[in-house]
Amino acid sequence: MTGADVRDLDPGDGRSSTPSAARVPAWRQTTSRSVAALPALEPAQGQPALDWPEVAEHLREGVVVCGPDGTVRHVSPVAQRLLPEVVVGGTLAAVEQLASLDPHLRHHGRWLRVRRVPLSAGRSCWYVEDVSDRERRSEELAAERSRSAFLTTVGDKLGNPLHPDRAAAAVVRLAVPTLAEVAVLVLAPRSGRARWWRASRAGDETPTVDRGVIAATALPPAIAESLRGNHPHAVDWLVEQVVEAGWLPGVSATEVAARLVSLPGRDAPAGVLLVARGTGGWYGEDDLDLVRAFAARAGAALTTALLYREQAEVADMLQASLLPVEPAAAPGVEWGTAYRPAQAGLRIGGDFYGSHRLPDGGSVFFLGDVSGKGVEAAVFTGQLRQCLHALHRVEQQPAKLLRLLNDALLETTLAHGQGRFATMVLGVVRPHRDGGLGLTLAGGGHLPPLVLRSSGEVEQLPLNGMLIGVVPDPRIGQVSTRLAPGETCLLYSDGVTEARGGRRGEELLGTDRLVQALTGCHRMPAPALAERIEQVTCDWLAQRDHDDIAVLALRATGVANRPQRHLHAVPTVTGPDPEGATTR
Amino acid sequence: MTAATRDTSLDAVYPDYLHCLAEADEHAAVEVARGLLDAGVAAERVLLDLVAPAQAEVGERWARNEWSVAQEHAATHISDRVVAAVAAYADVRPTRARIVVACMDGEWHALPARLVAEVLRLRGWQVTFLGASVPAAHLVSYLHRHDAYAVALASALPMRLPHAHRMVEVCRRSDVPVLVGGRGFGVDGRWARRLGVPWAASAPAAADLLGDERALRAAAPADLAHLADDEYASLVNRRGELIDSALADLAQRFPAIRDHSPAQLDSTVSDLGYILDFLAAALYVDDGSLFTEFVEWLVTILDSRSVPAATVEASLAHYGGVLHDFPRAVDFLQRGRGALPVADRRAA
Repeated sequence: MTGADVRDLDPGDGRSSTPSAARVPAWRQTTSRSVAALPALEPAQGQPALDWPEVAEHLREGVVVCGPDGTVRHVSPVAQRLLPEVVVGGTLAAVEQLASLDPHLRHHGRWLRVRRVPLSAGRSCWYVEDVSDRERRSEELAAERSRSAFLTTVGDKLGNPLHPDRAAAAVVRLAVPTLAEVAVLVLAPRSGRARWWRASRAGDETPTVDRGVIAATALPPAIAESLRGNHPHAVDWLVEQVVEAGWLPGVSATEVAARLVSLPGRDAPAGVLLVARGTGGWYGEDDLDLVRAFAARAGAALTTALLYREQAEVADMLQASLLPVEPAAAPGVEWGTAYRPAQAGLRIGGDFYGSHRLPDGGSVFFLGDVSGKGVEAAVFTGQLRQCLHALHRVEQQPAKLLRLLNDALLETTLAHGQGRFATMVLGVVRPHRDGGLGLTLAGGGHLPPLVLRSSGEVEQLPLNGMLIGVVPDPRIGQVSTRLAPGETCLLYSDGVTEARGGRRGEELLGTDRLVQALTGCHRMPAPALAERIEQVTCDWLAQRDHDDIAVLALRATGVANRPQRHLHAVPTVTGPDPEGATTR
Repeated sequence: MTAATRDTSLDAVYPDYLHCLAEADEHAAVEVARGLLDAGVAAERVLLDLVAPAQAEVGERWARNEWSVAQEHAATHISDRVVAAVAAYADVRPTRARIVVACMDGEWHALPARLVAEVLRLRGWQVTFLGASVPAAHLVSYLHRHDAYAVALASALPMRLPHAHRMVEVCRRSDVPVLVGGRGFGVDGRWARRLGVPWAASAPAAADLLGDERALRAAAPADLAHLADDEYASLVNRRGELIDSALADLAQRFPAIRDHSPAQLDSTVSDLGYILDFLAAALYVDDGSLFTEFVEWLVTILDSRSVPAATVEASLAHYGGVLHDFPRAVDFLQRGRGALPVADRRAA
């Protein structure tokens, strides 16, 4: 018998009405004292008498009336159905739960709501209502809410692109404890080996996760089947197979309930998820729906992660070839570099630097900036660097080398119909016997280099010239200088001087501030100097967007590739700290 | 300095080592460290008991205005080379999972993080050190490409706390647990707790914490309900305008400021900005002591450079007036003024 049987007796409107307190006062006005079996609640005034027992029979609530001694005097038909133990002449002791104060009680598989109303002359009336339907609905609602809350959490955790291993670990971790006490994810095998992750319920909320690799041939047959995309409805011996595979340690096959669900991938499943519950656990249809919904999300996350990794592997290879290569070690030269592309996530940009060793012990070095930003610009820097790599073997005179490069670029850009050009400084450095360095620099429309003299002064080399890759036979500037041991030459891109900062983020850093920041820094090693420029620029930017930033510093280390001791005896230029009080 | 005359105990070589830093003598500094290693001193001790305290001393000397920024940078660079040499000497084969160590975006003090990275490496972790000032986007793309067991983030300046919080969230969205360290989270890590991130006081503590994945993942939620008053957000939005008005106010009170060189003006502007940034960070974690500690530090720095703190007092007073409808900010500014030397308080 279900609650519906009782409800069928109801003449009511079908609403599941609440036995409201409001109804009682309404009765009071209409109740007649003349009713025999039922208590007289209030005297009716001028109302026609009603046949109360008949009315009571049709109430949604069952009614039981007890005398002052507790003897049952009246039981309405509804009450009879709900509390079959209660009979006229007996007592309510037959229903133990009535003794408790809780108005909700479970009786014969039904949820009942009971309220007791004291009547006159020590009698009392019990109203009993079957609320099983309502209870079931709210239980279902709560279950549905917890399911959607669970899926929301899953969506949050798996919604971001993850590393495939992270995604796999997250899948099993999320499955415990809501879906399983032990969850095992087996990924589709790659080259004959399948990787698996397992989460097991531990004492508290965080499950323990472990992982491993298994040969594809050693996979339990049911799992191998599922990975091939076959979904047998009922898997025979699933639990036995999994226990045998060693994934459910410490349990015997008889006390575990397990289900297998595949994670949708691009064509074949991305993997298979095994959920298992220990003693007393089982998987109902609702549970399985939830497991499937979870598997769909997990499959999407894994597929995205794998796809992302494939793309990232390709991108990584390409990026690595486009990243500036650190200058090759050269006698008497200490190199320092800094590189900060505009798009931090991309790691490559339109600035470039590098060096090549010359057979005579010197080096060609360069720093430049191509038009445009991002990937396209980076690809162009790659072409440019390759050009230089080849050309420096035939020409070592900087201005001539730059002209050759200009011709080569012009030809390429004309052939491809794209107007790409570059600014750059290109130089040749040769060590001197005394530990100093001889520099010859050629300029192609780039910012002139700075030289930190051992006096502490910062000198801007007079170097100009025209853009590279725009016109045939451009004007190329050329300048020569000498670096005494400990002196440094700095090449930098316009991402430094054109960094926007200041109070409103609109002011350019400018050469003056850069020179100011470098004054007195002549004792710094080249890498520290390059980093200092990067730092000063980034501090000025204060997290704002910026152009690509590149710095190449070369310092004369003196003979034997180490600074001469006497250099440190050179007194430092003292004066007001150019940095101000709190900047470092 | 020769091997024959060198004592190989840590305490004995410490002054030598400091001298190498002062002289910017990379080779001699590396030699000192190598000598200790050759004498059987554990690599971890060389890092934590020689390099780390020496670097702290470098910072102190800068704060006392004994060393210029350039000297500090040079010394730091040398410490970094020594760390590299010690790591190369120890050459530990990694047996454990990958840990990514990075400095917060805008954090240039990379050496403490580098030391943590090397200590973890010595203890068998496979460590990737991403270096100083790592942009969040770079870190995320790294985590997408290379799985990491955990990320260790370093920050030396509390003013970067709001930023640190965003960076932590970014890592967590990649499902990678985060551990933070550095003075930027408070000497006792109290601001890390406020942000709901596990914090390690030292490199060995970080290593211990990393060994316990449950502790790493079981972080209390961030306690930032106070942000609902929008004081932090408004302060950040009004930063430029506030600096402008403070500068105008200072110029009125101290006419000498009008004769400042562009460089001096820049540094005044950046000091005014720092005050706001630290105030904003204090509002973010709702802890006035963050701001008070900053004011005390600022006064020490200015004092060592013979700059009167009167301008600080004036700036704090000005900000307090302009931000009158921000009760928390006003309270913090008031407490910050309380940390100023008495003479300066009267001067304004």
